Amino acid sequence: MGMKPGAKSNPRVVAAQLLRQLANGRSISDLLEQGLGNITARDRGLVKEFCFGVARWRPRLEAIASKLMSKPIKAKEGEVQALILLGIYQLAYMRVAPHAAVAETVEAARLLDKRWAVGLINALLRRFQREREALLSMADADPVSRYAMPGWLLKRIRTDWPEQWESILQAYNQHPPMTLRVNLSLQSRADYLALLAASGIQATPVDAVASAVILEQPVDVDQLPGFSSGAVSVQDAGAQLAAVLLESQPGMQVLDACAAPGGKSGHILESTPEIQLTALDLDEARLARVHENLRRLNQSAAVVLGDAANPQGEWASRQYDRILLDVPCSATGVIRRHPDIKLLRRSEDIAKLAKTQGEILRAIWPMLKPGGRLLYATCSLFSQENEAQVQAFLGIQADARERVIEAKWGHPRSVGRQTLPGEASMDGFYYACLERM
Amino acid sequence: MAILNILHFPDPRLRNKAQVVKSFDDNLRKLAADMLETMYQAPGVGLASTQVNDLRRLVVIDVSESHDDPLCLVNPEILEKHGEHKMEEGCLSVPGVYEPVTRATDIKVRAQNLEGETIEFEADDLLAVCIQHELDHLDGKLFIDNLSNLKRQRIRKKLEKEERQAQPEPIGQAL
Repeated sequence: MGMKPGAKSNPRVVAAQLLRQLANGRSISDLLEQGLGNITARDRGLVKEFCFGVARWRPRLEAIASKLMSKPIKAKEGEVQALILLGIYQLAYMRVAPHAAVAETVEAARLLDKRWAVGLINALLRRFQREREALLSMADADPVSRYAMPGWLLKRIRTDWPEQWESILQAYNQHPPMTLRVNLSLQSRADYLALLAASGIQATPVDAVASAVILEQPVDVDQLPGFSSGAVSVQDAGAQLAAVLLESQPGMQVLDACAAPGGKSGHILESTPEIQLTALDLDEARLARVHENLRRLNQSAAVVLGDAANPQGEWASRQYDRILLDVPCSATGVIRRHPDIKLLRRSEDIAKLAKTQGEILRAIWPMLKPGGRLLYATCSLFSQENEAQVQAFLGIQADARERVIEAKWGHPRSVGRQTLPGEASMDGFYYACLERM
Repeated sequence: MAILNILHFPDPRLRNKAQVVKSFDDNLRKLAADMLETMYQAPGVGLASTQVNDLRRLVVIDVSESHDDPLCLVNPEILEKHGEHKMEEGCLSVPGVYEPVTRATDIKVRAQNLEGETIEFEADDLLAVCIQHELDHLDGKLFIDNLSNLKRQRIRKKLEKEERQAQPEPIGQAL
């Protein structure tokens, strides 16, 4: 006997509920972690696609929806608003049969007990189907709805990247590749590529980064040969540059000062297992992820709870040969992987983040040994968090000087170097390498 | 364990009557495990052997929300029926169709477990409905048999069309 799929296991209903909470300021990854319990394995990918797709295109979908409605949906009806956007998303971007997209979205409104909205959603989606071309070209006329980017973010990217802003915005709306970091202490990249090929997984190496491999099609990590035993990790190629630039040597004291979730710590230890690594973070819950990651990679580090902006305790009394400072940032370089950042970030956040970054940099600097090296890193595209930040620090810190990064990837800035989303198959990262004299 | 192929209406094999099980062996236990896996994956709350083209009188059921309370009934029979109510039912052999069916509200059941031991118990609510639904299968009956002829024909056409559309393109013809 089969049961009629109820509201709790209906992918569109669940997506609408998650998207409403997203509007309340929680990240998609968080929401998906808890929200998929009643969804069958077959429908999970669908719910994810709904959530990521609507988050990615939201400003564009909203512009189209507003043309189709005489008055906006009330703020308290977040689920109905989400269903309207989801309906347009399916019709405009997904390979769902149009009649099914309309019927299923309307059915979701019914399951959510929003009977008043059933006629509205049905009429609105059918009108979109009829006037599709006109509506889409209307949306293309304005950069905000064309690139699906909130106005303040768009303006800021345009200011900081006057020549590249359009290609950056286009890259944001692409599906990111699934990129792996091969554990080169266990096998060569060529050997791992052969292993992938033997498992029927198509992949290509990334030129600029010796450990990076891009999969033709994303797969579940459980399908990756050797994943559970640490042969490979999932990490963007741009993020894999951190351990390379740090150039830690055997015997060194190394501090990863904002370590969670531990991806870069793991990479540093893969490159040079014979170091003393301290992995610090101020978020206890996220430190658990560091432990988890290091355990999978079969590595050990001193994992410490502490605030890099306010150094106290044993870790703060030591000096280090290498410090990785992967500071909290706007994450505007990784929007193609986390499209919800477009909605979660506010313009006033940037100044606050920049202030914290400056505090961390100044607080950590005294722990660097003379002759030692500090790598300042962000996944931001904004000068205020990147070169302007480091420039200001170099202005006040007499014993600090830049060690220029010579590389084939990215764009040199006044200080440091930046990768841009989509270029060289990377997300957007900023790196500046500083030495203590 | 394996996922079994579920027959779809109007497959004539759904009309077969299942036979009394006499040997309670590993083969029967494997069938039960495979049927449970098939049912959970579908997902459904009950599955009868005739639906997977096996003619041993066996049904598997799990009406729990958490999908962790499986029940395997061999040679089941209903001893008593009480009350009457109408509930919307669906069937893994008639996908996408949900229709109200009138059934008894409380029943008394006798069956054997996979070891061949006889068990007797009372059931109500969804469990009672599900047992009645599955027992019908063992006798070649479907929940849509009580609908009007016209309605049943419409369901048949719909499913036949879906079946045709699900056929993959023959390799070699698409250039």
